[in-house]
Amino acid sequence: MSGERQQPSDRPDGRRTAPPGWWLVFRRELVELWLGGRALTLLSLFSILLGISGFLIATNAELELIPPKEVASLMLQPSISFGLFIGLIIGADSISGERERATLEALLLTPTSRRQIMIGKFLAAVSPWPAALAISFPFVAVLSQWNEVLGQALLWGTLLGTVLALAFTGVGMLVSFWCTSNRTSLFVSLILYFVFFLPTQFPGEAQKGFVGQLIKRVNPMESTKHFFDKILVNNRTVEEMWTWLLAPLLFAVLVLGLLFLYAGPGLRFEAGRARGIRLNWRRVAGALGAVGLLVALAASLIAARPVVASPDAELPLKIEVDTDFKEVKTGDEFEFDTSVTYEGAEESPPLVMAMNIIDLKGAVVDPEDWSPQRTQVVEPLAPGESAEHTWTIEAILEGDYMVYIVAVPKPDGRTATSQPITTSGIHLTVKQFINYNPGGVLPVAVGIPASLTLGTVLLYGIRRRRMEEGSSL
Amino acid sequence: MTIQAREPGGQSHASGPESEVLLAEGLQKSYGGRPALRGLSFTLNAGRVMGFLGPNGAGKTTAIRILTTILEADSGHFAVDGISSRYPEEIRRRIGVLPESQGFPKDATGIEYLSYFGQHFGLSATEARRYGLALLEDVGLEQRAKSPIGSYSRGMRQRLGIARSLVNDPVVAFLDEPTLGLDPRGQQELLALVQRIARERNVGVILCSHLLSEIEGVCDDVVILNSGQVVAKGPLSEVAGQAQRNGIRLHVPPSSVAQAHQALETLTSVTRVTPAGQDAGWLQVEFVDGTTSPEREHASNAVLAALIDAKIPVLTFEAEGGRLRDVFLHLTDEAIQ
Repeated sequence: MSGERQQPSDRPDGRRTAPPGWWLVFRRELVELWLGGRALTLLSLFSILLGISGFLIATNAELELIPPKEVASLMLQPSISFGLFIGLIIGADSISGERERATLEALLLTPTSRRQIMIGKFLAAVSPWPAALAISFPFVAVLSQWNEVLGQALLWGTLLGTVLALAFTGVGMLVSFWCTSNRTSLFVSLILYFVFFLPTQFPGEAQKGFVGQLIKRVNPMESTKHFFDKILVNNRTVEEMWTWLLAPLLFAVLVLGLLFLYAGPGLRFEAGRARGIRLNWRRVAGALGAVGLLVALAASLIAARPVVASPDAELPLKIEVDTDFKEVKTGDEFEFDTSVTYEGAEESPPLVMAMNIIDLKGAVVDPEDWSPQRTQVVEPLAPGESAEHTWTIEAILEGDYMVYIVAVPKPDGRTATSQPITTSGIHLTVKQFINYNPGGVLPVAVGIPASLTLGTVLLYGIRRRRMEEGSSL
Repeated sequence: MTIQAREPGGQSHASGPESEVLLAEGLQKSYGGRPALRGLSFTLNAGRVMGFLGPNGAGKTTAIRILTTILEADSGHFAVDGISSRYPEEIRRRIGVLPESQGFPKDATGIEYLSYFGQHFGLSATEARRYGLALLEDVGLEQRAKSPIGSYSRGMRQRLGIARSLVNDPVVAFLDEPTLGLDPRGQQELLALVQRIARERNVGVILCSHLLSEIEGVCDDVVILNSGQVVAKGPLSEVAGQAQRNGIRLHVPPSSVAQAHQALETLTSVTRVTPAGQDAGWLQVEFVDGTTSPEREHASNAVLAALIDAKIPVLTFEAEGGRLRDVFLHLTDEAIQ
């Protein structure tokens, strides 16, 4: 059929009926991501991590004493942090991965605009986020014991988590846009993730002071965490805390603006834009790593500031306990008695007795968590008179402790002082009590990851069978 | 040569046979100051296959990437079907490309893959699927339409890639090393397919290859690049003829060499017959000086007739220096496969 060039008879001319390019790219990427098994694999890992986090939070003996709304906040944070990571990793693969797999060129050869290609890829890369959110809901619900704060936790988790997920997926795609190698893209994205994530794990002392507060304000992950804590746990209002939303919102606007207005139209076969800033990613990664290390070092120095010890004091009263040592399991309660004997010649002043618990490894202990009755008042004693008191302790955390009671004579006036006296210590050893289903979390912590893993394995099995069937044709 | 480019949406130039479908003028490209392409200019007509030839690093792939809008030229212009290179999206609507290293989604089936690209070029899902099936039939993959691409052989993937390059019914198809990695049978089948596409669809085809046998067997025209420069271009026969010498080489059984000498020395157009090379039976026949090209063809016929009359078996008969390989080696001074 040589001669006049003609439209093959069976090719329709349907330019008006075709769906938009971004929708085609989005659908194709979605199929590859989900039916290819990558999204399910990442979500399975995500659910396993959540399962472990949830179980650890629940098995922590402090659970009984932490208010449910604080537990909700505790569980929401890893849910969002790990969920962002999925978007970041998928975004980091979206362009450099196609370059490596040599599938990008064919897409760039279509008339679909570069920006539409970018939009389609972005939407597909964000698609696992709603699933991650849905997976984390049961964990938050069970661990918060269906507390009334749950609705608020889920609302803010969804809103702020989505803002951060969009931003971090965009970060991954921007890195991918500038990288030829997929390995470099994933590595740089990982470093960026830790630069944002690590400050959220700094001890409280490291977050104080001007620098600490500044980092907390500008780091979108940290300011979001702070917002959650204050809104969900400390009953603060949005009017009071809205400024903490600026960092995540501005970050998202900046990243998405860069992605769709700067990088998107310049998408091409080679890394980066045709004309513009060319970044040396090895140097960027090195610099970011160095900054991360410096911040970590500064934080540890701040946290390790020495505390000046108080001088010892003499004892004006005689006070004794009936127990020298005790071994219990976490969750157990035990009682002990104290006896205060006044040996003075006149009536004693009123006394206030307080119980203290010291972790022998030096960790901070809050006695309020260990006993509902921390202090008792002793009325004035006659010379030679004794007073007996009973104390109750609930063993919260596994460890090695010293428990003692201190008696403080009430001073005569505002300018006077008195000398506290203490008992000898009770050496308390608390062993771990293992509850295999604390707070009823086990079905969620095991069931969800197991179901997702099973689904992933089944999907890979189906894919392999399809390939084998195809090859045998 | 000046490009008379039209705006997108105007009347297509590529409606007639052998009409001009691709015109390049002075294309230049450098990478960090190192020139990769220095003033590429040529014309391709509809229904013809043009071979892009050159040693490694000659600028073939750079040229293809510029002409397919993947790369931007530093200077120069080109037009596809009369559309100027200033409108890359419109150019992309009119070209089909099989890149040198083409990746495929392993899980998608052949028909899903073609439907996807068909929709990118404006077809509805149903139309794209129907047309994709027709293309798969054209390239002999209709039986594997619903198999995942991951299960295709390399040859099948190349054929699928060619089918993809045709989903938009292109005016020009660029095929960069389409037979790379195929066995000889696969190479032959694919080249036949390329030729059929050019003829039946009246598509101008640019076939980029470093295999001279491929170019010789399929192409109508040829452009030879060396160090980014065009060193020869034109119809294959003309380019190959540039290296033709005034004589022929022939191979007869060694036992018939003396008899062949006798038969050929009687011809007035022949001045000398000498052994050619080390192998017995090869003879070099030189014609009278000043023999023109048409006279050379008559003289060649006379040599052949004299041998046949003398009942001497002719094992090989070829115009000396008249092959593309000779031209290529002469022009590029490079050894190629």
